[in-house]
Amino acid sequence: MPFRSMMGWTTAVALITGPVAAQQLFDESKYPAFEGQWIRTGPIERYDPTKPPSRGQQAPLTPEYQAIFEANLADVAKGGFGDDPVYSCIPEGMPRAMNLILPMEFVIKRNTTYIHMEYLSMLRRIYTDGRDFSQDEAPSWMGYSIGKWIDETGSGHFDVLEVETRNLKNPRTYDASGVPMHKDGQTTVKERFYLDKSNPDILYDQVTTYDHALTRPWTVMKTMRREHNAIWVESVCNENNLQVNIGNEHYMLNEAGELMPAKKDQPPPDLKHFNQSKK
Amino acid sequence: MNLRLIAVPVVIVLTATTSTALAHHSFAMFDTEHPIEISGTVKEFRFVNPHSVLVVVVRGEDGVVKDWILECPAPGIMARQGMTANSLKPGDPFKGTISPLHSGEAGGSYFPPQINLSNTGPVAAPK
Repeated sequence: MPFRSMMGWTTAVALITGPVAAQQLFDESKYPAFEGQWIRTGPIERYDPTKPPSRGQQAPLTPEYQAIFEANLADVAKGGFGDDPVYSCIPEGMPRAMNLILPMEFVIKRNTTYIHMEYLSMLRRIYTDGRDFSQDEAPSWMGYSIGKWIDETGSGHFDVLEVETRNLKNPRTYDASGVPMHKDGQTTVKERFYLDKSNPDILYDQVTTYDHALTRPWTVMKTMRREHNAIWVESVCNENNLQVNIGNEHYMLNEAGELMPAKKDQPPPDLKHFNQSKK
Repeated sequence: MNLRLIAVPVVIVLTATTSTALAHHSFAMFDTEHPIEISGTVKEFRFVNPHSVLVVVVRGEDGVVKDWILECPAPGIMARQGMTANSLKPGDPFKGTISPLHSGEAGGSYFPPQINLSNTGPVAAPK
């Protein structure tokens, strides 16, 4: 039948060509000047860069997760890492990646905006082609991000990139002090990227994290400055990581690659699978 | 050659090297509350990730010579503040303040004095 035939043809075209937004011509001049290298301002490794680290972040945690955080801090006080997984080269994931230990850069394409982060070679892929969230994609540390370019001033040019990120993989923390994320992995992160109106070399990222470990959404403002004399340094974590995770304990390697305790009076790992008599 | 471990507390403020002065990981395994000064000779400087590594040959007060392994900031941090893989060479004399391992092993963390983890400017107010 003609109608059914037309529906089928339309569906086929849609499947082949993708969402409507993807069909629009890419006019680079409509996008804000996000190019270049962006460097964190302020102190290193803070979710809220305006507040002191650790307890000073005043994370709005539920009592259950405040207790988990306190347990992390107690472990850190003994020389441990608490629940922070990054020491073993697991990526920071979102939203911690935006703490921006090392610089980042944007790559804006027609259907996707990429954020390449030097630290741990993390890559954010933000789909801007009008798609909806994937229902069956495996979770990942950087998550599944959907973005929308916005022309807030009606100038005919985009000035804000709004991003929502879901489908995040655990373990993750907000920082290395171990401010925890909920174990259910249901974190949602919403962001607004935009340039300073009077200084285009300043970039803001307003980050709001929704997580069941929080009593309310936690909003912070990240500020980055554009580096005009950029250098890039490769960051491959496994190259020479001296921190070793065995069982539930972490140890450190010495210059000869031998295992050392990381904590005072720390017991060695279980060597039952090794024949000790061969020493 | 003066290879000595001066295991006395160093009364200084280590900029941004408290237990939560971080990069790749917490520095919890290092005793940032009780920094010590060591001196010796550079054996090796690895400009590697996730942390650069400095190995210093140190003779303790008991006369025993040990290789001390010191975790330094990531190359990405040090390179932007003027340090290179050749900034410290084997045979160079070394004297510096470190945060020793809590475990008492011959190791610690070392931030070269020219490295400032928060040198990227103030937090600007959004406009």
